[in-house]
Amino acid sequence: MTAARAAAAAGLALLLATACTAPAPPRSQASTAAGTACARPQGPPAAEKPTTIDVVEQAYFCILGAYYSGATLDARSLLTAGFVALTRELNRNGRDLPDATMPALTGDREADWTAFEAVYRKITDQVPDLRDRLADVTLQAVVAALGDNHARWAHDVQRHPDLHDGDAYGLGFQANVNGLQMDANPGAALPPLFVTAVQGGAARAAGLRPGDLIEGIDGSAPFVDGQATPAIAGLYPEYPEARPVKLRLLRQSTGRRWTATLQPGLFPRDPAGLRVVRSKLVDDDIAYVQMAQFSPDSANRVLRAITRLRTGRTLSGVVLDLRGNGGGSPVEAARLVSAFVHGKPTAYQCAVDGRCQTMWTDDTVELVGLPLVVLTDRGCASACEHFSSAIKDLRAGLLVGTRTAGAVSGPASPYLLGDNTVLSFPTRHHRGPHREVIDRIGVPPDHHIPLTPKDAAAGRDLALAKALTLLRT
Amino acid sequence: MRRLLTLAAGLAVLAVSACSAPAAPRSDAPPAEPPDPATLPAPTGAHPVGTTTLHLTDTSRPDPWDLDADIRELKVTLWYPTGRRGGKRAPYMTPREAELLLKGSGIATTPYDTLSRTRTNAVEDAAPEGKGLALVVLSPGFTKPVSTLTSLAEDLASRGYVVAGIDHTHESYATTLSDGRVAECLACDSDTDPGSHAALVQGRAADVSFVLDRLTSARNRPGLIDRTRIAMVGQSIGGASAVAAMLKDSRVRAGIDMDGTTYARVPESGLSRPFMFLGSRNHVPGGPDTSWDRDWKRLTGWKRWLVLTDAEHQSFTDIPLVADVLGIEPLPGMLPAARGAELTRTYVAAFLDRHLRSRRRPLLDGPSPRYPEVTFCPAACGRS
Repeated sequence: MTAARAAAAAGLALLLATACTAPAPPRSQASTAAGTACARPQGPPAAEKPTTIDVVEQAYFCILGAYYSGATLDARSLLTAGFVALTRELNRNGRDLPDATMPALTGDREADWTAFEAVYRKITDQVPDLRDRLADVTLQAVVAALGDNHARWAHDVQRHPDLHDGDAYGLGFQANVNGLQMDANPGAALPPLFVTAVQGGAARAAGLRPGDLIEGIDGSAPFVDGQATPAIAGLYPEYPEARPVKLRLLRQSTGRRWTATLQPGLFPRDPAGLRVVRSKLVDDDIAYVQMAQFSPDSANRVLRAITRLRTGRTLSGVVLDLRGNGGGSPVEAARLVSAFVHGKPTAYQCAVDGRCQTMWTDDTVELVGLPLVVLTDRGCASACEHFSSAIKDLRAGLLVGTRTAGAVSGPASPYLLGDNTVLSFPTRHHRGPHREVIDRIGVPPDHHIPLTPKDAAAGRDLALAKALTLLRT
Repeated sequence: MRRLLTLAAGLAVLAVSACSAPAAPRSDAPPAEPPDPATLPAPTGAHPVGTTTLHLTDTSRPDPWDLDADIRELKVTLWYPTGRRGGKRAPYMTPREAELLLKGSGIATTPYDTLSRTRTNAVEDAAPEGKGLALVVLSPGFTKPVSTLTSLAEDLASRGYVVAGIDHTHESYATTLSDGRVAECLACDSDTDPGSHAALVQGRAADVSFVLDRLTSARNRPGLIDRTRIAMVGQSIGGASAVAAMLKDSRVRAGIDMDGTTYARVPESGLSRPFMFLGSRNHVPGGPDTSWDRDWKRLTGWKRWLVLTDAEHQSFTDIPLVADVLGIEPLPGMLPAARGAELTRTYVAAFLDRHLRSRRRPLLDGPSPRYPEVTFCPAACGRS
């Protein structure tokens, strides 16, 4: 899900990236599980059609047939969530109906669907102008009811007509609580909210700087009693959302308090900064490699970068900076682990009945043979947590920074629905090398070095400094 | 391996192969005798064709892909009219280049030299003939050597153009450098990175400017090239690079993009020099690729958007011409390889004749009964 988010700019790449996130299940499993309700997309989907109740039905049986716990979950919870959303939407539009009441459900998945569909049709026949919208919110709610950060229904994806390769849409900055965290694990966000990077667009034009505290978003506080509020999500509008966002800001170094109104828009990003793998030599004896995603071939790219940096010199160690790494392919994660330890499981992919497939290290990958420190933060998600937990559990290196995102339910598999939209969710759930759950919990670092607004403002990287110290002692 | 033909976007080939295991070589026993190589269609113009290879070194900038190289080395293949009819035909590519290209593309059905032995029509190192000729820069698709545009290059040379085909080092599976080293595809490493295509076309634009500096300098072949009549034609990312090159370098007076999704940022003030999109059915208005719709609005000069019915991404290259002997099955329903080459040669030449030689070319004014496969977009074509 996170890799797909990053790749959303390129329509074709989106699909390919999603297709890469999960190894295809054994054929027998795929055909018995999901074959009847939904199939894997073959190539880029055709133009989207309106979502109908038949598509909701397809998604419902697709989930029951193929989702991680589809075989055992109480299907009534999905239908109830769908009905809640449906009636809320009716009410929001001032169109509530006397017979919009939930039918009695029995626990028989097919009979319950039939009852649900009958009431659904009766309702929507009375409000034909809301039909498309009601199908949307119902399906959205059914998927959300799984409570799974890798379950997602991608629909109505719109591209800005002037989008160019490398462009981003939004306010032009990142804060210490990012969009992924607001999606997947908002309960883990910590105050204060502050700018960590200015990328361009409205934020650059308004003169925002790393370290600036965000005290208010459209008049709402980002935290109330230490708990993140939904207002933070307003920092990350997606096209076509274009409402200006008013920020109340404080620059601690000067004590200046001001408000800035940022208009979401398309902005170009620095191409050099977009490279997935970037590397440099630090102090002539440490290879520093930054990896933004576990995209295809990225593990080999990291290893080639290390090889290049150690050519003609003796290195003391490797710093792998995975802060903000939104994940990608579990195969790449396992491959990169294999450059630091052999003969161990990197993770388990487990079915709801507890049967697990082991993801072993690939022992054909040559060991790097240098001490390793991995930099992590709350932006290290999914495959990044697979990697980090394996390095930590297998004692192949040290983690420095903050706890990872806790967004690693399991690798998502895509399924094509009848309206040419893509539903994706895990067929198995992820466990660490000790068979521990990492999802929603994250991986705690060996050395906790959080980023503070003052360090962000001064461009100080204390986590990197700690890593260098560890590698030299 | 059939993805070479089946996938619309050349770049997608890479993305797919990066995620999936490489296709296994066919298990059936190889034929007892190696298949005869393909023969490229004869050029249609009046002149015999010569060809030669130049190795140029740009010391003013580092290589964008090889972090250890502080210079940019380029191989340029020239095709041009010559007075010499007989002589040794130039090799299509080296056996090593053929091997790396086929391996990289996941094709392992025939001996690799089946491709390198493809018969060409140009006489190796023949002396150029003519003065003040218009120059056409050719840029190939990602991972492909410029040899894959030989059929088009030879035809344009026979019509009196000097053609400079650029092998953009490290953006192809194989480029033989001046000292015999074969540079492989370093750009393939970062091909899926956001922004990588935008950066790649910028790099190609810089390559083009440097090559133009060299080819039009007084020292080189004085009088052969008219430096006021230069155009650029490319396939796939090479076509996208034609837009980038025109934006960077006003010496490029006209350009053609053959089925390439575009990446350069055309300013709001527009690009006013002549430009032609020549695409397959994936590049119709409102189709799966939206970049042509985006840029069409900012082409403010003479422009055409032609789509060939039943063409695919490689129809504009030599790939369909050599596919048969390589054991690549054509996509069902695609136009015959020879017809694809004929349409490409005809419409590219018509465009260049019109804009570099000021000749009337009514072919470009609307549909022609001789070429019913060609539709004029956006007016006469919708989403297929």
